[in-house]
Amino acid sequence: MSGNITTLTDNDFDNFIENNPLILVDCWAQWCKPCLMLAPILDELSEELSGKVAIGKLNVDENPGISHRFNISAIPTMLVFKNGVMQEPLVGVRPKDDIKKYLMSKL
Amino acid sequence: MNYDVVIVGMGAAGLQAAIAASRKKAKTLVLGKHEDSALYWAEVENYFGVRRVEGKEMLAIGMEQASSFGAELMEEDVIELAKGDAGFKVVSDSGKEFTAKALVFASGISRKKLKIPGEKELFGKGVSYCSSCDCNFYKNVPVAIVGTGSEAAISAELMTHYASHVYWVAKEMEASDNLRDKALAAGAELVTAEPTEIGGKEKVSSLILANGKSLEVNGVFIELGARSTTDMAMDLGVMPDPEGTIKVDRKCSVGVDGIYACGDITGKPWQVPKAVGEGGIAGAEAATYARGL
Repeated sequence: MSGNITTLTDNDFDNFIENNPLILVDCWAQWCKPCLMLAPILDELSEELSGKVAIGKLNVDENPGISHRFNISAIPTMLVFKNGVMQEPLVGVRPKDDIKKYLMSKL
Repeated sequence: MNYDVVIVGMGAAGLQAAIAASRKKAKTLVLGKHEDSALYWAEVENYFGVRRVEGKEMLAIGMEQASSFGAELMEEDVIELAKGDAGFKVVSDSGKEFTAKALVFASGISRKKLKIPGEKELFGKGVSYCSSCDCNFYKNVPVAIVGTGSEAAISAELMTHYASHVYWVAKEMEASDNLRDKALAAGAELVTAEPTEIGGKEKVSSLILANGKSLEVNGVFIELGARSTTDMAMDLGVMPDPEGTIKVDRKCSVGVDGIYACGDITGKPWQVPKAVGEGGIAGAEAATYARGL
């Protein structure tokens, strides 16, 4: 995993949201194969969008509180927050360009 | 049964791979259902040396050709692939096990959308395409599995361990007796009907059927067709891209020793000439690899 990606838990999630203007949180689990397909894409984006978008990863298996709070019922789900306000999430594996375009539209 | 080369998929790419591998004297098995090939319903007019031909006819001739060179053809879906001591372990939907020194993925691109109202709108809000990913979110609530093949059967069985009730909605039955019986024995309720709409506003609340009935469910798992090859490929260390395609080099190798891919699964263009070209390469390379061990 890229050094630019922050591993989040139920406990530090809110702090991460409050302290970054534009955020993508990848809600994933180890057994989820599409999540594993998404991982290298987010690694690349975390490098390319460094300083513009903060990217975090939250393991839903170990952190059920956040998945329950945001009604996550499919993984991977990418939660997006702008200035602390939740935007339309991205559900499922998406091509890198689609994710990048969506994030750029929020800048 | 032990083989040099096992080919997953019985379309143009898989059958050409079988022709190439068996002509190189590799003991070759093709697994898949030729009627599931995208070519089956197509009419081809852009193939060199052929004016116009129905896909069904091309497949029938291809199957005869592959058999004539010694390849064995078995109309069964693959449901499990694993690395073994002597190459790869392959399990079919009837429960048969095989070993292969080399594998060729030629199973095409899965077209998984049901295309009914509510599917797109409620994706991620109760609609899922991956029961093994999302099963944990549906503990003790009723769900429906939609699909007629092996993927649906496997999902229906899996979800009986999580959901309070599992409806398996299939307008017809294409899964093997083996997988169907496992799902039903685990407690899934088979509903022979066609789904027409997924109901719900913020979340899925029902699955509406063509016969007018409605199933009250919190989740709808759309699991069409055979078990996804890209899913199984990941068990062998092959990483597909987000579109579900597998990248290959000029030898149609996927970058893992003994594994090759050809046809639509390697990406566009989804055309017979490209599938056949890659099939010829993949089959020959797989045979060379297997016989060199």
